[in-house]
Amino acid sequence: MVRTKGTRILIFSFLVIPVIHLLVFSYIPIVSNVFLSFTDYNGVTTPNWVGIRNYKRLFTDPQYIKLFKNCMWYMIVAIPQLIFAFVLAIFVNGKFRGINFFKGVLIVPYLLNGVIVSTIFIIFFNNSGTFNSLLRFSGLGGLAQQWLHNLRLVNPAIASISIWRYYGLNFIMFFSALQAIPTELFEAASIDGSTKWQEIRYISIPSILHILFINVLLSISGSIQVFEIPYIMLNGSNGTVTPVIQIQQSAFSENRVGFAAALSILVFIIVVIAVSIQKVFDKRWTLYD
Amino acid sequence: MISESKFYKILRYVVLIAACVFVIIPVMPLVFMAFKTGVEYTTTSVLTPPENWFNMYNFKYAIRVGNLGKALLNTTIILVISLTIQTIFTTMVSYVLHRFDFAGKKLVHILFTLTMFIPVVTTQTVVFQIIYRMGLVNKMLSVILLYSGVNIIGIYIMLNQLNSIPKDLDESALIDGASYLRIYWGIILPLLKPACTTLVIINGIGYYNDFYIPNLYLRKDVQTFTVALYKFFGNTATPFEIVAAAIFLGIIPIMIAFIFLQKYIYYGLAGAIKS
Repeated sequence: MVRTKGTRILIFSFLVIPVIHLLVFSYIPIVSNVFLSFTDYNGVTTPNWVGIRNYKRLFTDPQYIKLFKNCMWYMIVAIPQLIFAFVLAIFVNGKFRGINFFKGVLIVPYLLNGVIVSTIFIIFFNNSGTFNSLLRFSGLGGLAQQWLHNLRLVNPAIASISIWRYYGLNFIMFFSALQAIPTELFEAASIDGSTKWQEIRYISIPSILHILFINVLLSISGSIQVFEIPYIMLNGSNGTVTPVIQIQQSAFSENRVGFAAALSILVFIIVVIAVSIQKVFDKRWTLYD
Repeated sequence: MISESKFYKILRYVVLIAACVFVIIPVMPLVFMAFKTGVEYTTTSVLTPPENWFNMYNFKYAIRVGNLGKALLNTTIILVISLTIQTIFTTMVSYVLHRFDFAGKKLVHILFTLTMFIPVVTTQTVVFQIIYRMGLVNKMLSVILLYSGVNIIGIYIMLNQLNSIPKDLDESALIDGASYLRIYWGIILPLLKPACTTLVIINGIGYYNDFYIPNLYLRKDVQTFTVALYKFFGNTATPFEIVAAAIFLGIIPIMIAFIFLQKYIYYGLAGAIKS
């Protein structure tokens, strides 16, 4: 309990700067964004109230509806990504020779930054790049093409990079959840004469289902915030613009800050929904603490 | 654990080796390319290894043209300052939240918690205006300022560690006449060292890799390492084998950090996500 004036001063002085930082760089901006999203603010002159015009454009103009369609690709690739991470976590969980080597290599892509990953995959998807070379090498040369310039394939192609880049994060989450399962459960199963497959099917998988669910929602909120790969690789060209690239272009190149604010709020709402669902279920589904 | 069948053991290695191939294949051509000459680059397949693994020409060229040395220095300055400030502030906030009861404590806690609902990308329209009015655009201070904020993951890591520091320790120091400030500085802070290490590693990797913030705020001559690497893309005159060499150089610091800190990274990432 606070006893003296001295303690109150200590509490105040320890909190004041971080709280001000929080208000100035998180809360004030998000609240002002709500206000700006109903205006035609251009970053310089006084904003005029335009009602829901910005939102109306976002929901009716095909150019902007496409932004969210592009995000769908990133959500779709999250499915193989999660399965891949899940399978690896199951296999790495255990004691075997070389475990640290595998744990090390598997996490590397997650540690590389967007510019590095983009360069790697420009080389990968180029006409004479890695993917086409591999296709030709394995007799599938007929499928080889300009992946980044085919307007129908460019979005799924660059979205699939997320599998390579982010599965490591999902893997770590699954793996640490598996490690947290009490060993007594496995011992009990072992006494009852269960097989490895039964152990995975009836103990491991049910125990980390809630982590799977968290990962799904994490992927949804990540998909809506995609920026780096399409921006660095293609600068949003060939129809690869995502909501965050559009926010950046509208706000900082076209001076349509009001419109960018509306788009920001839309992204914000989607993230809030995804994170809220995750938090609610996280509390209900946690089996072990 | 139950004993694993031979089939399962073999299957495990097959799957894991396949996964490693999946990781390495896209990176391999980049590594090859970094050592190739211009002629080799245009005449050989991306899957062909370079003739001379000791060809350093591309690296020298990349460092000179891309000003990579200066960019790495800038990144280092930004990281050291912002991580120091952030870590100290995180311990201060956590100490107060953990050890004291006061009016508004709940509110402060909620304010920090709710920030996880506010993605950085949704606030920059306004934050940019603020930074601009502070006159910090194109100055390192802008990025340092934005990176120095206390985040909820850091607070959770600290609170976790604070749980394991007995309150008796504070109390007896108090009886001996120490002030709270002394207790924080002399007792709590040293005992929070492991949590601080975790925080510095997680955020250090995040900030080192960050592209969004430095790309937005450092648009002219002051560049971070990531942005300097990105500038190679804008300049189409740069031969691609030079770009590959630059990118290869960009991978090295993170690999060094990883080899030495693997344990922390695993523990830290898992811990951070859990909270």
